Amino acid sequence: MITATNLGKRVPLVDEELAILKGINLEIKSGETVAIIGASGSGKSTLLGLLAGLDTASEGYVTIDGVNLQALDEDGRAALRGRELGFVFQSFQLLPALTALENVMLPMELLGDASARERGEDYLQRVGLDDRSGHYPRQLSGGEQQRVAIARAFAGSPRILLADEPTGNLDSATGERIADLLFALNREEGTTLVLVTHDLKLAARCQRQLHMERGELEERERS
Amino acid sequence: MTLLMRMLLRDWRGGELGVLLAALVLAVTMVSGISGFAAALKGALRQESHSFLAADLAVRDSRPMPGDWVTQAEASGLKTARIMSFNSMVFAGDEGMVLASVKAVSDAYPLRGQLRLSDEPFGPLYTHTGAPPRGSVWIDPRLFSLLDIAIGDNVAVGNREFTVAASIRGEPDRSGGFLGVGPRVMMHVDDVPATGVVQPGSRVSHRRLFAGDPDAVAAFTAVLESQLNEGQRLQSIDGSQPGIGNALGRAEGFLLLAGSLAVILAGVAVALAARRYAQRHQRYVALLKSLGARSPRVRRLYAASLAFTWLVALLLGWLLALGLQYAALQAFAAQLEVAPSLFSPRPYLIGAVTALVCAVVFAWPSLGRLTMVSPLQVLRSDEPIHSAREPFDYLIGLGAVVLLMWWYSQDLKLTLAVLLGLVAVVLAGVAFALVLLRSGRSLGMQAGSVWRLALASLQRHGLGNALQLVVFAVAIMLLLLLTLLRTSLLDGWQQQLPDRAPNHFLLNIAPEEIGGVRTLLDDHGVVSERLYPMLRGRVIAVAGEALPVESEERDAPRQREANFTWSADLPEGNELVAGQWWSGSGAAEVSVEQEFAERLGMALGDRLSLQIGAAELEVTVSSLRTLDWQSFKPNFFMVFPPGLLDAYPVTYMTSFHLEPQRKEFLNTLLRSHPTITVIEVDAIMEQLRTTLTQVSAAVELVLVLVLLAGVLVLVAGVQSSSDQRLRESALLRALGAGRGHILGAVAIEFVTLGLLAGVLAVFSAEVAFWALQRFVMELDYQPSPATWLPAIIAGGALVGLLGLWSCRRVIGVPPARVLREL
Repeated sequence: MITATNLGKRVPLVDEELAILKGINLEIKSGETVAIIGASGSGKSTLLGLLAGLDTASEGYVTIDGVNLQALDEDGRAALRGRELGFVFQSFQLLPALTALENVMLPMELLGDASARERGEDYLQRVGLDDRSGHYPRQLSGGEQQRVAIARAFAGSPRILLADEPTGNLDSATGERIADLLFALNREEGTTLVLVTHDLKLAARCQRQLHMERGELEERERS
Repeated sequence: MTLLMRMLLRDWRGGELGVLLAALVLAVTMVSGISGFAAALKGALRQESHSFLAADLAVRDSRPMPGDWVTQAEASGLKTARIMSFNSMVFAGDEGMVLASVKAVSDAYPLRGQLRLSDEPFGPLYTHTGAPPRGSVWIDPRLFSLLDIAIGDNVAVGNREFTVAASIRGEPDRSGGFLGVGPRVMMHVDDVPATGVVQPGSRVSHRRLFAGDPDAVAAFTAVLESQLNEGQRLQSIDGSQPGIGNALGRAEGFLLLAGSLAVILAGVAVALAARRYAQRHQRYVALLKSLGARSPRVRRLYAASLAFTWLVALLLGWLLALGLQYAALQAFAAQLEVAPSLFSPRPYLIGAVTALVCAVVFAWPSLGRLTMVSPLQVLRSDEPIHSAREPFDYLIGLGAVVLLMWWYSQDLKLTLAVLLGLVAVVLAGVAFALVLLRSGRSLGMQAGSVWRLALASLQRHGLGNALQLVVFAVAIMLLLLLTLLRTSLLDGWQQQLPDRAPNHFLLNIAPEEIGGVRTLLDDHGVVSERLYPMLRGRVIAVAGEALPVESEERDAPRQREANFTWSADLPEGNELVAGQWWSGSGAAEVSVEQEFAERLGMALGDRLSLQIGAAELEVTVSSLRTLDWQSFKPNFFMVFPPGLLDAYPVTYMTSFHLEPQRKEFLNTLLRSHPTITVIEVDAIMEQLRTTLTQVSAAVELVLVLVLLAGVLVLVAGVQSSSDQRLRESALLRALGAGRGHILGAVAIEFVTLGLLAGVLAVFSAEVAFWALQRFVMELDYQPSPATWLPAIIAGGALVGLLGLWSCRRVIGVPPARVLREL
C-alpha cells in the first residue's frame, strides 16, 4: 500500500519559493490501478518522483507498505526501489550499450537474482521480442523499445509499477498496443499500477483517476 | 562472473571507455617510451664519456699498484686492465732513433671506447679492442717517416726487437693530444720486462683501469678511496664533457622536457575524456539508482571501470613504449658499444605511476561525482551534476602534474619553468577569455546573423569556453615551446660543427719551416687557419708564493705546465670575464683562462713567476677569459701580448680541413717535415656529426609524437563540448537554419577560440621558453617573432577544422536522430 500524507514540494526561485505540490493526501491499495491526470506543469511527474522515492518532499511524507520513505536515506530508498518498484518511462530509458535482453536483466542482476537470464528471456517473449533479444536499443523502433522497458519493469516481479507517460513518445496505434500490453501484464502479475498521463483514454483504463491541477489533487469518480 | 565484471564488460563493449583508454595509453606510451629512450641516451652518454678514460674508473700511480685490488675488483664482477707509460728511445736500422712515448697495455685494454688503427701510416681506419700481440708494436704515423720504415719492419725498444704491425691513429684515453710529447709506440705490457728500459727509479706512470656495472663501480670506488695512499690518484669523469657528451646531454634534457610535456598533455586529455565520459553516464547512473542500485555499488562500478581501464592502458602503453624505444634506439645502434636494455624497469614504472596518478587525480573526480547523480534524472534530464568542487580538482591536478614532472625530470628548474608557462596561460587565459568573449558579444550584435549566432554561442558557454580556451592554449603552448627548443638545440649543434671545420692540427712547426709548410699546403690547395705561436712553460709561483711541484691534496694548487701563445687581439671564441685586454703598452701581462686561474689560485692583478726552458719571467694577470671548449679551435690557457715572448724558442701550430680521400697529403707533408706532429680529429668529428644527425632524428621523432599528443588533446577539447553543440545545431537545423548557416557559426566559434588560444599560447610559450633558456639550458634567450603569426593562424585553422569535423554529423544526419540519440 502507498500513502501520501500532507505531501508538499517547493523549489526555490530567485527571491521566492514556488510550491509545485500542496498538501497532497493519497492512499493507493495493493493491486489497484491508478491514473494521475493533468496538464503539463501541473506537478504530476513531481508527485510520481516523490511516490517512487526518487526525490524528497519539502513537507509531509510517503509510505510504502508502512515504510516512511522520508526516514530513509538515498541508499535506503534505492534498496526499497530495487525490491518493490518497477518503472516505465516516457523516454524508455534503455541503456544504449546494453542489448534488449541485458536491459531486461539489469534490475534482477542488481538484486543478485541468479535466474535473471531465464526470467529476462521469458519476459522478452511475453512482450513478443524474443527474436530481438541480442539487438541494441538503437536497432529497435520506439514501440519496441518501450516493450523492452515494460519487460524490464515486470521481470523483477515488483509489487508496484510506476509509469510516466508510457505512451507519450509513441503514435496512437503503437501507443494503444503498448497500453494493451501494459494492462495485460499488470493483470497477470497483480501489480499495483500508478500511471501518470495526460491521455484521458489511457487514464480511463485505470480503476481510479486522480486529477492534478496547480499542485493539488482531486479524485474523480470513474466516468 | 560477478555483476561488476558483467557491467564492466558491457560498458567496455559500448565503446564509452575508448577515449579515456586512449588518453591513458597515450600517457603510458609517451612517458615510458620517452623516459626509456632518455635513459638509454644517458647510458650512451656515460659510456661515451667513460671512453675518454678507456674505463669507468682509473687509478694512477708512479709505482706498481697492489695486486689485491685486481682480485677485489674481479670478485665484484669488474673488468680490469693495466697500463704503463714511459718515454724511451726507439731505434730502426742503423741511423733511425726517436724519443717516443711508450704505452704498454694488457689484453683487456681499452675497457671503454676503441682503438683506431690503420695498415698504412694514414690508410683507411678500422677499430680494435685489445693489446698488440706479444712481440709487435703499433706506432704513430709520423714515426714511419721519422724512422724511414714501413709496416712489417722491425724497431727496437731497449733490448727487445718488435715488428711494426699497424699504425695507431686513435686511443680513447689520449685526451691531451696537444700536450703529448713524443710519438706513440704501443706494446703489450708483458713485453716491458724484456726491454729492460724500466728500472727502479725510472719515471713510469702506472694506471689500473676498472669497468663494469655502475653500482659495482660505485661500490668499488668507495673501497678504493679508503685504500689510496698519497701518490695514488683516482680518475673518474669530471663535469666537463667533451663535445659529444654535451650534445647528448642536451638531447637528454630535451627528451625529458618533451616527456614532461607529454605528461601534462596526457593529464589534460585524461581529465577531458573522463569529464565527457561522466557527462554521458549521468543518465546511466540515474537509471541504475532508480532501479535500486546504491551509491557504494555505483562507486565500486566506476572505480573498477577505471582500474580496469588503467590496467589495459598499462599493458597497451607498455607494448607501444617498447616499440617506440626500439625504433628510437635503432637509430643509435651503430653508435653504442653496449646496446641499452629495452627492459630496464624504471621507465615502465614511471609510465605506470603516471597513468595511475592521471587516473586518480584527473579521471576519478569526474567519475566519483557520478555517485551524486540524482535518480530523479530519469524523470527530469535537466538536473545538473554537482560540480562546485571542479576548480578545486583542477588545482589538485596542477599540483599532481608538477610533482610528476619533477619526479620524472628530476629537475626542479625545468619543472618550475614549465609551471611558470602553465600558470601564465591559465591566469591570462581565464581573464582574457572572459573579457574578450564579453566584448565580442557586443561586436557581434552589429554583425550578420551567422556572426551573432556564433558569438552568442561563444558567450553562452562562457566558463566552459574559458576552460576549453585554456586547454587549447596549453596544448598549443607546449607544442610551440617544444618546437622552439628543438630549433635552438639543432641550430646550436649545426653551429658547433660547420661543414668545413678544421679537422687536422699541425703542431711543432719550427719558425724556419713555416715557409715550406705554407708552400706545401698552397701547392695542394689546402686552406689553413692562422698560425699560432706556441711554447711550453710552467707556472712556478703565484703572487710571490712558490707552488709545490706535487701537491698532497688532490685539487690543491701545484706547479702546472701549459701551452703559451701570444696574440694582439682576443682570440675568436674567447670571452673576457674580468680585467682589460692589452692596448699595446708593452707591459709584462698575461690573460689567463678562468678555471685554470682558479685551480692555481690566481686572481686578477697577481704577479706570476713563469719558467720557460731554463729562463724565468715575471708577468701580471691583466685579464681572465673563458674558452669555448665545444669548438674545434686551438685554445690556450695563457695568452701574452705580442713581443713579450720573442726571446724564447717557439714553434707554431695551425689547423686545416682535409677530406678523407686526400689523407695521402699527410704522408707527403711528414716526409718533408718529419718533426711536425699531425693530430687527426676528423674521425672524432665524423662520429660526432653522425651521432648528432641521429640524435636530431630522435628529437624530431619525439617532437612528432608529442605533437600527436597535442592534437589528441585538441580533439578531446573539441569533443568535450560537441554533444551540447550538436544538440543546439540540430535544434537550429530543425528550426530551418541552412547548412551554411550552421557550419559558418560553428566554424566562426571554433576559429575564434583557436585564434585566441594561439595568442595566449604564443605569449606563454615565450615566457616559458625564456625561463627554460635562462635557467635550465643556460643559453641566451631570443624571442622568436617569426613563430608568432604562424602559431596563431595554425591554432585558428586546427581548432576550426577539428570543430567542424566534430560537428559534421549535424549536416549528414537528420536532426531528429541527433536529438533522439543525445
